[in-house]
Amino acid sequence: MIITRREIIKAGLAAGTAMSIPSVLRAQTAPTAARTVRMVMGDLSVFDPVVTTASVTFNHCLAIYDTLFGADSKFMPQPQMVSKWNVSDDKKTYTFELRDGLGWHDGSPVTAADCVASIRRWGQVAPGGQLLMARARDISKKDDKTFTIALQEPLGILLDLLGFQGPFIMREKDANLSPTEQVTANIGSGPFKFNQALAKPGASFTYDRSDKYVPRNEPADGLAGGKVAKVDRVIWENIGNQQTALAALQAGEIDFVGTPPVDLFPVIESDPHLELQVLDKTGQDMFLRINCLQKPFDNVKARQALLHLVDQEAIMRAAFGDPKYFRSVTSMFGNETPASNDENTGWHKTGGDPGTARQLFKEAGYAGEKVVILDPTDWREADNASQILVAALQKIGINAELAPSDWGGLVARRANKGPVEDGGWSLFMSSEAEWIRGNVVTAVTLSMNGEKGWFGWPQNDEYETLRVKWADVETLEERKALARKMQRIWWDYVPEVLLGQYVTPIARRQTLTDLISMPELIPIWNMQKA
Amino acid sequence: MAAYILRRMVSTIAVMAMVGVFVFLLLRLAPGDPAAMIAGRLATAEMIAGIREKMGLNDPVPVQFIRWVRDMLGGDFGTSIFAGRPVLELISQRLEPTLSLSILTMILSVMVGVSFGILASWRTGGLVDRFLAAFSALGYSVPVFVIGYFLIYFFAIRPHWLPVQGYAPIDGGLGPWFVHLILPTVALGIGYIAFIARVTRASMLEVLSEDYMRTAAAKGASSYAILFHHALRNAGVPILTVIGISFAYLIGGVVLTETVFNIPGIGRLVVDAINNRDYPIIQSVLILTSGLYVLINLTVDLAYTLIDPRIRY
Repeated sequence: MIITRREIIKAGLAAGTAMSIPSVLRAQTAPTAARTVRMVMGDLSVFDPVVTTASVTFNHCLAIYDTLFGADSKFMPQPQMVSKWNVSDDKKTYTFELRDGLGWHDGSPVTAADCVASIRRWGQVAPGGQLLMARARDISKKDDKTFTIALQEPLGILLDLLGFQGPFIMREKDANLSPTEQVTANIGSGPFKFNQALAKPGASFTYDRSDKYVPRNEPADGLAGGKVAKVDRVIWENIGNQQTALAALQAGEIDFVGTPPVDLFPVIESDPHLELQVLDKTGQDMFLRINCLQKPFDNVKARQALLHLVDQEAIMRAAFGDPKYFRSVTSMFGNETPASNDENTGWHKTGGDPGTARQLFKEAGYAGEKVVILDPTDWREADNASQILVAALQKIGINAELAPSDWGGLVARRANKGPVEDGGWSLFMSSEAEWIRGNVVTAVTLSMNGEKGWFGWPQNDEYETLRVKWADVETLEERKALARKMQRIWWDYVPEVLLGQYVTPIARRQTLTDLISMPELIPIWNMQKA
Repeated sequence: MAAYILRRMVSTIAVMAMVGVFVFLLLRLAPGDPAAMIAGRLATAEMIAGIREKMGLNDPVPVQFIRWVRDMLGGDFGTSIFAGRPVLELISQRLEPTLSLSILTMILSVMVGVSFGILASWRTGGLVDRFLAAFSALGYSVPVFVIGYFLIYFFAIRPHWLPVQGYAPIDGGLGPWFVHLILPTVALGIGYIAFIARVTRASMLEVLSEDYMRTAAAKGASSYAILFHHALRNAGVPILTVIGISFAYLIGGVVLTETVFNIPGIGRLVVDAINNRDYPIIQSVLILTSGLYVLINLTVDLAYTLIDPRIRY
């Protein structure tokens, strides 16, 4: 048999057509590029908000789950899954009724039993949830659409707890899992469905608009109001290399980069198709955590010395460069939360005060003990700031040194309560969303309950008494008065030193608009693509 | 021959066992805690302790090791601490991009590198030879990520000819698959082209100076016959050796290339796993990679017999 050249070409064309059929089919079923938004949001590796505090996980949960209440742009809790609620005259029993039309992405209806199980699971781990569970006498469903929370005593911030970092409502069978066992079903009742078939762990995750989701009628406002999905599909690409992410943004392959690198801001600003936008207007408060159990910082004078030594301007400039995106902060509650105040902040001086710091170390009886600063080299901003801090300490005669490691090494070492000679630590830097700092009940870093508390283990019983009281007060004025008293104790004791407040703009293509402005979190409803 | 292959296979198992012990202990000794990484930056010690307990990380290291080996012998390579999915499933998902990139790079490197080396040896000191010297210096000295960003800027951002990043699976059509791999293949291949071309040139020069080459030329053999039928065949063993070594080393180079071009392959999987301290993934990939190294070497050794009949095992 003789095979002609023409036959070979025909066979080749047929084979090529066959190979391309799957993509043709996909093109028919997948949304168009104009209805698809591609975002670089970070590496989503844990799907369960009860297992982790990572903000990328919370963003994932905002997309696929719904919440009982949602914080609006003024941080006030507004009903979301709840249609109406009431509280008994003695303020000890809350009754919640779910709104109509709530359904899981697997087709089954959302019930009160799902809500009760979700609250109970969240209540075992989250600081706000633990407070609720400590005060709760009973949490139970009344019927399929109604459930109650009965308290032993009134809890003034109950709705705030449910609205800020409250539970994402999961199916009862998912919520019945242990809080240390990860829920990976990813079936929610929110505005977007998780597309399991297109999930590529470590590479990309796909969210499709849920046609059956019934949004509230109110306009979108923070995490409250109508969650209207205005695009058909959102794809989260995990581009680990920021330079590559920016190149993809410039080329139009993606629409959004959540945390563009600071040193590439000028490139973004000079591109007419791109825009930097600050969505998180309150940003993060960066702080220096102090090990209060070990020398020299087991002495309050040494901790106060740090407070006087730190030059926030210098540290922020080293960390973030452009002053447009940072400023100093002196209140433990941050610059812009309702509890922010100026009580006991006389220590703050532009440029720091090394003279006073040296004198305070002397009064603390400092005798050359080694000070180890944990330095996360894979967090560029903290790494830069650590270099400034160690130099400032060495300059006033402190035997300070950096202990470089990646963030994974840091989080393991910071759990060591022993002296530095036994692998312990003296100082490390971290940051926290300022809006979380507005509520001392949910902000784990703002506790002073000793070795049960967050790393550094400060202990002050008077402060803790006030912190418990925080949950009971009902008016903002009462809370502000309480905040001043707490701040006086906080800066006398010095469990941490604030390093500054910074905001990180997102980078997007001009065609992507109407993103919701919220601290730390990036909801994917409401946004539109031209 | 069969006995030789059997001996090599047994040694493969021994190598993999040693790698297993080494990797397992190294990971446990290295600073870092997967439970803390899962729990997040603001987690409490209580949250972290609960996760550690659940994952069995509080068990003594020998107990963890025995459990891991026992499971692996039963074909269970464990479950990713983070993704919560079987490790083998994750590896198989990432295998296609890495194999695609590796194979395309080797094809490019061998075709261009060997041709380049032969041409350079044919006219020593000529234009091609001098160009090869300059190209080799460039290929050796410029890191793959610099070449990568250079290619991205001039071929993807500016003229939009090729995609900046990502990978298109082969079942979505050969066209998109190939287009997404052009830049990464070129970026990764330049160093290997230089390496293979230099070795080919040196090996060919040695053979071309032999007496039987002069005899072939005196008998009136064409340049093509001298170069490809006589010289290349005799210069083949060292060339094949460097191709084998290159393929093994390629696995290391793939990590950087996959990062620069955002290709979701084995390299990215390992980098992410190391950052997250995802022990089961790191252990499994390193075990499988070490096995692959040994198998590549075995294949190269066996291929010698095809090129040079004098070689016997």
